[in-house]
Amino acid sequence: MNYQFKWSVLWSGQSGHWLLQGLVTTLELSALAWLLAVVLGITSGALRTVPLLPLRAAATFYVEFFRNVPLLVWMFFWYFGVPPLLPRPVQDWLFGHGLEFWAGMFALGVYHGARMSEVIRAGIQAIPRTQFEASVATGLTVFQAYRLVILPIALRLIVPPATNESLNLLKNSSVALTISVAELTFQTRQIETYTAKAIEALTAGTLIYLVLCVTIATIMSRVERHFAIPGMIARTSTPA
Amino acid sequence: MKRLGILFMVLAIAAMAMPARAQEGTLDKVKRSGELTIGTRTGSPPFAYVNKNNEWVGFTIDLVDQLIVPALSKEVGKPVKLVKKESTPPTRIPLLSSNAVDLIAGTMTDTPERRQSVDFSLTFFYTGAQLMVKKGSPIKGVNDLAGKRVAAQQGSTNAKILREKYPQAQLREFPDQPAAFQALLQGQVDTYTNDGIQLYGLKAKAPNPNDWDVVGDFYSEEPYGMAMRKGDAKFKAVVDAALKSGFESGKYFQIYDKWFGPKGELPYPLSPQVKAYLMKQIGK
Repeated sequence: MNYQFKWSVLWSGQSGHWLLQGLVTTLELSALAWLLAVVLGITSGALRTVPLLPLRAAATFYVEFFRNVPLLVWMFFWYFGVPPLLPRPVQDWLFGHGLEFWAGMFALGVYHGARMSEVIRAGIQAIPRTQFEASVATGLTVFQAYRLVILPIALRLIVPPATNESLNLLKNSSVALTISVAELTFQTRQIETYTAKAIEALTAGTLIYLVLCVTIATIMSRVERHFAIPGMIARTSTPA
Repeated sequence: MKRLGILFMVLAIAAMAMPARAQEGTLDKVKRSGELTIGTRTGSPPFAYVNKNNEWVGFTIDLVDQLIVPALSKEVGKPVKLVKKESTPPTRIPLLSSNAVDLIAGTMTDTPERRQSVDFSLTFFYTGAQLMVKKGSPIKGVNDLAGKRVAAQQGSTNAKILREKYPQAQLREFPDQPAAFQALLQGQVDTYTNDGIQLYGLKAKAPNPNDWDVVGDFYSEEPYGMAMRKGDAKFKAVVDAALKSGFESGKYFQIYDKWFGPKGELPYPLSPQVKAYLMKQIGK
């Protein structure tokens, strides 16, 4: 390839500073969006299994509406589509207070909440129905049965797919650059602008995402083992 | 395991063989394929954009089509077909280095940093950065930007200059012009900065052109060139000769008139200074 590599662009000038800034923004954006996704996911995932039709219907609508539209469209929706619906003073306040970050956060959180919801529902439905019936028979209300019995088991079951979904969320946070959020991928492009060295900048970004994701995956596999219920979920993949 | 080993060997050999193939000069590539692939813009009227009839047209595309393609056809001795691909500021240099395109012909400013990675043709247009604001805005020039939200295109020279020289401005960078302009339309940002000519182009295409003003003196110099892979002197000679003959024969000015003349897409008379600048390149 007719290209001169110059890796020093990554540590000369402001590159390191930019990458760090981008990393911090990516982590802030992803962490807040993840919290939103988890809350929305658990709520709607649980609601999709309750014996009350209107609640099930509302949760189903949320999931199907939000997961079946591309994330990029949601970014534009929250950034360009929502503000005009608000009163003018609120709009102006938002424009002056980092609207792009919050729009990106909602887009990511609401979209991944819908996807997370399916993961949670799968976890709940993996629990035998008799367990729910038994908990209600002991005198628990439906809400208590979910809070004290069903969800604690379901959440343990879904650690692997939920980790998967969380890593996707982290990587998808890069789509926020389309609405001018200066996250990690944005900053790698920035380095390219200043140095015209795209391959080096993209490599740096790739490695940072890789390290982040592998770290999270490792932590989650520890969490998984720590919270496993002995006898119910296999601790390791080796046969007992 | 053995199969995996063989696979790796094949990949390694392929990787070693690749540079040899890529060494092929652009002229040879054009000759072999009968095509010239350019990277250009889709939303930068009137240089390169998709018009109302869904045709991909523009001033820069015409320069390539009417000056460079004929010269290339003559050079390689067979008709050359023009193939257009989309390129944006962050993707254009990688597209060029990876041989995905042979020439960047859009609205790329010739800068010293970029010259370290690519070669530029003769300058074919000259403009400077200005600001687009809603009519009546208190912003009259770059010195009024303190604390204001300024949209710019990511990867553009304007964004870089603003960041360095006017750090009080709150810069918001968008990957493409339509998103940045939409943010200005709705008020997410107070102003949008780009090369003056592009702002006039945008204003002319806006739903209500009279609502918008292009303000301020040029705060940067933006000579547009066509970018080529570095060190491909033979190809560069053909491109430069084609542009030069365009300036000499007046063909360039006819194309200029088609887009920027009084009846063009965007009336923007060629100022004597810019004309002198362009002609100086060919020693006139």
